[in-house]
Amino acid sequence: MLVDYLERGVLAGVIAGLAYGLYMALVANPLLGYMETVAEGGEHGAHASAGEHVHAAGEHAHEAGEHAHAVSEATTAAVSIGSGVLWGILLGGAFALAFYFLEPALPGRGRVKTYVLAGAGFFAVSLAPWLVLPPTTPGAEQAFDPTFRSALYAGMMAVGAVVAAGSIYGYRRVSARSRPIGAVAAAVPIVVLVAITVVAAPTIVEIDAMPAELVTAFRGITVLSQAALWSLVAGCFGWLQTRAGVRPAADRRDDLLTSP
Amino acid sequence: MTTTETVHDRIGIARDELTTGQLLAVFAFVAALTFTLLFLQEPLAHDSMHNFRHAVGVTCH
Repeated sequence: MLVDYLERGVLAGVIAGLAYGLYMALVANPLLGYMETVAEGGEHGAHASAGEHVHAAGEHAHEAGEHAHAVSEATTAAVSIGSGVLWGILLGGAFALAFYFLEPALPGRGRVKTYVLAGAGFFAVSLAPWLVLPPTTPGAEQAFDPTFRSALYAGMMAVGAVVAAGSIYGYRRVSARSRPIGAVAAAVPIVVLVAITVVAAPTIVEIDAMPAELVTAFRGITVLSQAALWSLVAGCFGWLQTRAGVRPAADRRDDLLTSP
Repeated sequence: MTTTETVHDRIGIARDELTTGQLLAVFAFVAALTFTLLFLQEPLAHDSMHNFRHAVGVTCH
């Protein structure tokens, strides 16, 4: 049964990953290429104005640009597309494993459960870390060294998983009495985490070399593309489960109760 | 399979169906793939995934 779930998860991941690879090829690669150019343009502007702080930011952007070109742009584009496909497969496989074990504990019925888990996964893997480390653009100034930031990202993933679990647990405990109160109980851990990070988290990512609108658009499209990827994984997985004739325990119980 | 399953039941079913080695292999594979995609800092691999890392919003540089 676990292997069947994993098989469907990987297949859902392949479908979602191919879509995400297409997004990498058609949107993300060209957009990031353009943003690299803008970041490098910011660096030249910094040299002209000779302001010390801006100069430092420009140098960082330059370093980032050089760093990015340690391999050819074609290689970066191709590997990034391939990584996008693998990312979908990884999420699909991990999603299926988590769904197999957690399905009985998830609220909702039928395919709603898959979307609840996808929402929790999106929150843990992306949204929670982004509260501290928002998506960066080329040429961004970042505090701390990459190893520490990676550890911080991983730590926030763990915090996000705990908060998502708390949110689901809160909903399940309260929603039997009242769904609106259940929704409030589900929102409490998330609101607390957002409030703590707004008050306590240091500013790690600073983007000087890029127009604010471009940064906002980039972050918006990053959030939407990841949300779409999770939705696609959940949607395809649910469809494959239905196609394979898997029926949720709640539906089977209802059948038993209604049958004479 | 009962109609009122719990998470505990699912763990039990997985234990019956698969050996510990098979389960460990699955989880190790997922962990290794996550590490490689998200946190690998080896310069060539890291740089090759540059656009991908930006696109998924993972910390970079």
